[in-house]
Amino acid sequence: MNTQLSLNAFLPLRRTAVLLLLVGSLALGSRAVSAAPTLTAAAHPSATAVQAAPEAAPIAPAVRARPAVTARKVDWSKTSLVVAGSLPIQDGGRVKPLSTFANFTLLRLNGKSTAKDQAGEKLDSMRWLLDTFVDPRRSGEYPIFQVQDSATVHAIGLEVDTKKKRDRWSFAELRPAVPKLFDLAHEYSQIEGKNRTTMQAQVVMLAEAVDIYLGLAGFLDFARMPIPLSEGGILAQEFGTARLNFSDLVRRGGDLSALRSRLEKSDDPLEREASRELASVLRFAADLGRASLHVALQPPDAVLSAREAWHTPGELLSSAFDGMPATAAELAGLVALERLGASLGSDNTVDMAEAEAALVALDASTGPIAAARGETRRLDLEVTYYRLDLLMYALAAYILAFVLAAFSWLRPAAALLPRLTFGAATVGTLLMVVAITLRCIIRERPPVSTLYETLLFVTATGAIIGLSMELINRRRIALYATAALGMVGMFLSNGYETLDKRDTMPSLVAVLDTNFWLATHVTVITIGYAAGVFAALLGSVYIVVRLIRGRASAPEFFTSLGRMIYGTLAFGLVFSLVGTILGGIWANDSWGRFWGWDPKENGALLICISQVAILHARLGGILRELGIAAAACFAGTIVAFSWFGTNLLGVGLHSYGFTEGINSALWTYYGIQWSICALALVVGVREASMVKSQVSEPPATSARGRTTTPAT
Amino acid sequence: MNPLRTIGTGLLRVFSSFRLSVTLLVFLGLLTWLGTLAQVDRGLYEVQKEYFESLFLVHRVGALGIPLPGGNLVLGLLAVNILVGGLWRMRGRKNVSGVIVVHVGILMLFAAGLVKLQASNDGHTTLYEGESKSYFQSYHELELALLRPLADGKIEERTVDGASLAHANPSHPAVVDGQGLPFRVEVTRYFENAGVMPKGPMFDAPTPVIDGVFARPKPREKLNEQNGAAVYVDVIAADGSVQNGLLWVYDAHPWTFDVAGERYALDLRRKRFPMPFRVSLERFRKEDHPRTGMPRWFSSDVTVDSGKSSRLVTIFMNEPLRQDGLVLYQASWGPSNARPGDPLFSSLAVVRNPSDQWPLWGCIVIAAGLLWHFGRKLIRHVSREVARP
Repeated sequence: MNTQLSLNAFLPLRRTAVLLLLVGSLALGSRAVSAAPTLTAAAHPSATAVQAAPEAAPIAPAVRARPAVTARKVDWSKTSLVVAGSLPIQDGGRVKPLSTFANFTLLRLNGKSTAKDQAGEKLDSMRWLLDTFVDPRRSGEYPIFQVQDSATVHAIGLEVDTKKKRDRWSFAELRPAVPKLFDLAHEYSQIEGKNRTTMQAQVVMLAEAVDIYLGLAGFLDFARMPIPLSEGGILAQEFGTARLNFSDLVRRGGDLSALRSRLEKSDDPLEREASRELASVLRFAADLGRASLHVALQPPDAVLSAREAWHTPGELLSSAFDGMPATAAELAGLVALERLGASLGSDNTVDMAEAEAALVALDASTGPIAAARGETRRLDLEVTYYRLDLLMYALAAYILAFVLAAFSWLRPAAALLPRLTFGAATVGTLLMVVAITLRCIIRERPPVSTLYETLLFVTATGAIIGLSMELINRRRIALYATAALGMVGMFLSNGYETLDKRDTMPSLVAVLDTNFWLATHVTVITIGYAAGVFAALLGSVYIVVRLIRGRASAPEFFTSLGRMIYGTLAFGLVFSLVGTILGGIWANDSWGRFWGWDPKENGALLICISQVAILHARLGGILRELGIAAAACFAGTIVAFSWFGTNLLGVGLHSYGFTEGINSALWTYYGIQWSICALALVVGVREASMVKSQVSEPPATSARGRTTTPAT
Repeated sequence: MNPLRTIGTGLLRVFSSFRLSVTLLVFLGLLTWLGTLAQVDRGLYEVQKEYFESLFLVHRVGALGIPLPGGNLVLGLLAVNILVGGLWRMRGRKNVSGVIVVHVGILMLFAAGLVKLQASNDGHTTLYEGESKSYFQSYHELELALLRPLADGKIEERTVDGASLAHANPSHPAVVDGQGLPFRVEVTRYFENAGVMPKGPMFDAPTPVIDGVFARPKPREKLNEQNGAAVYVDVIAADGSVQNGLLWVYDAHPWTFDVAGERYALDLRRKRFPMPFRVSLERFRKEDHPRTGMPRWFSSDVTVDSGKSSRLVTIFMNEPLRQDGLVLYQASWGPSNARPGDPLFSSLAVVRNPSDQWPLWGCIVIAAGLLWHFGRKLIRHVSREVARP
């Protein structure tokens, strides 16, 4: 689903969708579809249900005035969930499982990939999506629209007394204010993103979320609303029925097109009347089809079509009228969707058996076509990847490792705890490696091609560096740092996924569509990031421990830790420098210049400069252990600036990785690292004053005829 | 002691010192950081000139001006520092072969940058399908071209560098000598960025009105290539008669005038560089990811005709064409608002850079040096740690 559309573009369409939904899906609980009123309402949106909220008086949430939807009696069958979850859908430029689509759509709306129904029962994303497709009246009651600040809903004229400042709203509650929401969003979307106030930005986001929801809830409108014909009229005679299914129209699209041409030219008053009726029918059908434009579940038949774009029901109708009739397999898919839509009975309950049969039929009609087109090769693997949820287990393993590490600090002599810590951290890292490998297979890409994947890769690489270091020197410092890095890295990647709210396996823009450079430049420089972050972590440990214990308490520990920082920086320099130059060579092949002083390029250069400067300062005796530790912490903030900060500037050629909302996390990291640098200063001043006082008290410190100066 | 020798030794010590290395690296880092942030408000082109291609600059923080060494000065001194400290003074030392190799690689990058700065041209050639060109145009630099039709149907071009016009004003016009032609051209006004608009009855024009239009000066655009320069010119014939003209870089056609019964034309345009071959765009292809507006692929099928032979080449993202010292890249396409069936153009970036592949060799040298140096250290460290009880 292309959710980046400008509101300017979709507003008129959405108005129709709002209307259809209100007239159709939601109000259709009674299943009272009569011919004339429905058509009239569809043709004149402003005349009926949708009215803009009055400016002065806030609207009470509509849910109060509506009869409560009864609690679910029958759940979706396991077969339905499995079959639906593995159905292929074309979205965001790629074919993916419907379960992935459901996950990320719900994440975008709800801020998490699960929802609760009106009774407070937890729903997974697939149940939510099936409810939204099949029973939109019920799903309209689910509080799934995450609103960060009640000022947003107040701005669209709703009463907010019954809700918390930060709360979730249902579509039924928002419904009275939807027209005003779209009006305001249209107005605010004219303002450049960075100039919008928080409230304006949230109104736009809420409108986008509602728009997405409407696209899903209206998807099966075409299946729920048979198209009525005038009894005894030419059309009714032509079709031999008083009600048409959408699939009938698609099947007879060519005939109807010819009939329309004939009737339009006719002088017979009856035929001209039939022409008007046909026009009305087609307009209504087109509106129904338009509501489904975001959900492309049907691949073009491989035998007949080489086109890449999959069909929505509305597009099948358009194609049929344009002289490209649907194939038998495409019609079978459409009929299956109609069955799915019709599984919502007149008593507002879903016939789960019928729904399951419809889903199986849909799978049987679309699956072979998609497979013949070679678009489902890795679909099952993707379903498995998300089902296994390896990253969540990796997080659990790292948390366990961190907790064990904390206990082993309390009992330094215990030998078992560090071993368990090592085991847990290794398990976490192995899970990460397996997850990243699966992603590579699914995407047929090297491990890093998005900002999200840099987080996974940096975490895994940092952990591998740490565990390797631990295997070499067995001092537990790297082990504990690995546990901390793994845990924080996984929290950050989860947080990023939630913040970004988009498929983490997206299609790539043209310039990134090169596995050679992704495998070389991107992978190499990301390893450099990992080393820089790990060096900063070790530097932080060094400074904090030295602040608490002083160097004299364990000089061997600090010497060893200092060497580890140096080694990590040197390791990082190799990858940062080579990665940066490789980036320049890629830029030379893509944009015609090796170096363009673009922010992302400058960020990479800054990492190299900082690491080279630290190593030279060490060689020249300008920095010693404490100084190198502090400089490594500072260099960590430079890595963060290069990694995320440059993307936030919003300028340059590397703007494809931009993500709003990570500013606060970035500044938190800057703040922590700079505070630790300040602590290093405190340590340095304190130790210098101690040395001075020792020098001024010769008998106490020069008993053996010499004084010792801590390395600073 | 020889005082010259003492001074020489002292200078050598300063220029080879780690302190100088660290100081210069800190300045380079500071410049890079400030130059990155400055791009947000001022655009890349201006910042690049001021911060990275300068000897000195004054960085503004509110009303406060902080003097800083520019990128050219810092990188120049760093090159000297690497030469003296990183190569000359390291000779004969133990275990520094890898470091020396790395420094050689870094100097190769510096040399590549210097050659690029001094000897390269870049621009674009933009073609509709079926169109061909044997020149490319700069994105930034301007030139004033005087065009004269010849008897054989060809056109003689004489060009003046746009930079020489930048200070023209009515008191001190930039004079372009006709060189044997019966007139001279004086550029009386120059605007780096201007819009040309018709003079209406309800307002006064801030600049002379010529043929009902005038140039309205506009602030500089952040993206330099979006600046539309304009000049006012006087064509002064040998008999003293004057013809006034207004030239704008976005004009579709040159301004024509007649002197002594012959027709000439003046054109203010982006600087053109000849190519030793002719490029014809046979077909442009653009594909989006299905059901999105996200470009997945765009490529140009071009015929490259060198006069002796011609060949069909496909240029696409990450796969440029390299021929006769020029590199042609797939840069962009348009018009962005084209409807299905509308003719499209393809914009190919063209670069003449003698040091095109030097960074690749430099990268290989640096990687080899780093791996050799740090690899040895790592192996030594691991051996020591493993041997530790």
